[in-house]
Amino acid sequence: MKLNGVHIEETFAEAFPMLGTRLIVTADTPAWVQAAVVSMTGFATSVIDCGCEAAVERLLSTEETPDGRPGAAVLLFAISKEELAKQVGRRVGQCVMTSPGSACYAGLLEGAPIPLGNRLRYFGDGWQIAKRIGGRRFWRIPVMDGEFLCEATTAVVEGVGGGNFIILAADRHASLAAAQAAVMAIREVPGTILPFPGGVVRSGSKIGAKYKGLIASTNTAFCPTLRRAVASSLVPEGVESILELVIDGVSPEAVVAAMRAGIGAAVGLGAGGGVVSITAGNYGGKLGRYQFHLHEVMA
Amino acid sequence: MSGLILTAREAGGPPIDMTGVLPERLAEGDDALAGLFLIRGRERHRLDDLFALQTGGPSGTLILRPGGAVLDGVGTGMTAGEILVAGNCGAYAGRGMRGGTLIVEGGCGAFAAAEMAGGRVRIAGDAGDFLGAPLAGSPRGMSGGSVTVGGNAGDRVGERMRRGLIAVQGRVGSLCGARMIAGTIVVGGGCGPELGLAMRRGSILLSHAPAPPPAGFEDGGINDWLFLELVRRDLTAAGAWPVGFPTMGTRARRLLGDRSVGGVGEVFILSGM
Repeated sequence: MKLNGVHIEETFAEAFPMLGTRLIVTADTPAWVQAAVVSMTGFATSVIDCGCEAAVERLLSTEETPDGRPGAAVLLFAISKEELAKQVGRRVGQCVMTSPGSACYAGLLEGAPIPLGNRLRYFGDGWQIAKRIGGRRFWRIPVMDGEFLCEATTAVVEGVGGGNFIILAADRHASLAAAQAAVMAIREVPGTILPFPGGVVRSGSKIGAKYKGLIASTNTAFCPTLRRAVASSLVPEGVESILELVIDGVSPEAVVAAMRAGIGAAVGLGAGGGVVSITAGNYGGKLGRYQFHLHEVMA
Repeated sequence: MSGLILTAREAGGPPIDMTGVLPERLAEGDDALAGLFLIRGRERHRLDDLFALQTGGPSGTLILRPGGAVLDGVGTGMTAGEILVAGNCGAYAGRGMRGGTLIVEGGCGAFAAAEMAGGRVRIAGDAGDFLGAPLAGSPRGMSGGSVTVGGNAGDRVGERMRRGLIAVQGRVGSLCGARMIAGTIVVGGGCGPELGLAMRRGSILLSHAPAPPPAGFEDGGINDWLFLELVRRDLTAAGAWPVGFPTMGTRARRLLGDRSVGGVGEVFILSGM
């Protein structure tokens, strides 16, 4: 398949079930919302070593938040409910509750609950107050600038982690331009996040390594500098730079929508823009429950 | 399945105990309801001796037209559906309700929503004493659900309340929130004496400070209380945010008590004064 002169490989992205939740963080100003959510979603690029994958889904206007203040929707994904609960508790406790004027609400109401304020309330040292409002339960925890208002629980959904596609381009400028266009497009798709820095991965990984105990190592097949050195290289002639976009979503449909939007934006730069081809990362279909075939996604 | 309209055949006379007349029973058919025995004064009567039955109204809804009759215990123990009272209720309206909606277009007598555990009660007029309170001899008051009153309410509103919401547009009598354990009471008008006596936890929202200030409460000063915005939005959506209350801002003065019993209940004064 060719789109705008860019070759779309007949392959698939292999993805995995993950458990996810959405949190709504609000504060007095958009700047303080940013401060809270940037801190909360830091070091959350990959479950391989971060415990969870998290990012801002989108910013929310004052009309969209429970308390009428500026806010942001954040999605967090982990490999188990227990790990997700642990990460949510740590990140909200250390990064949102500590941020001036913040409040934190559940962004999903349907699904199995995990503790949110129920875990953090003990910080109130006995002065915390539970309040049920409109059928939802909140904790009010006294803090030095007033009260931290936090919903008691948030719901968990079975989402998808590791949706991806890989952009092969003539040079670094072209690959980055295509990746940035894809990021901009994917950020408009509800229910998805791009957990890596700026939404882009430059150090894609393969499973295993020559060194004992290392569960992942650089994706040698897609390293342009190793094109002549490794027999398994998948870097064609004329390609000098490759970038990957990894997508987590609240459903397979959301991930497919994000892949379609992202690939569409990347190929929008065309062969003339230095984009050579689009492929995807997989493990031969042996590990992941989900297979997102690029030709079907872009059909 | 359509609704059912019950119209009282006689005005006046002793109160009719409406216990057992519930929308959940509409599925059993009109005959089942018509054959129910109700207590009126010291006598038992078939329901259809006391009321004219007529099919009508929305599905799952029981419409009561009391006329001049006094109906006690309307909605007692209701779990689902809706009761609409086109007039006034007697005592014990919504007693022990666990779900569903009770709408009273007039006023209610004493013990409305007493020991209520869930559902919604909407009273357009005034409510009597013991709104959301425990029944005589019982240790627990309201433990869930919401009650809104368009007019005034009597003494001991929300006494021993454990959970839920009571919003009164007008005045309340003495001992509002007495021995309250948790939950929220919103009062649009003034309060009688002994507000929050022996209150342990829970919140009472007022537009202006009660006079005299409740004994046993400490003035915690004026702060921002974000949860008030959520309460306001919830009550505004239900049409129950008191008319005289501020429509924006979260600053309020908080009184904490009743400290004489080690309580940390809250009285919020939304005007700050």
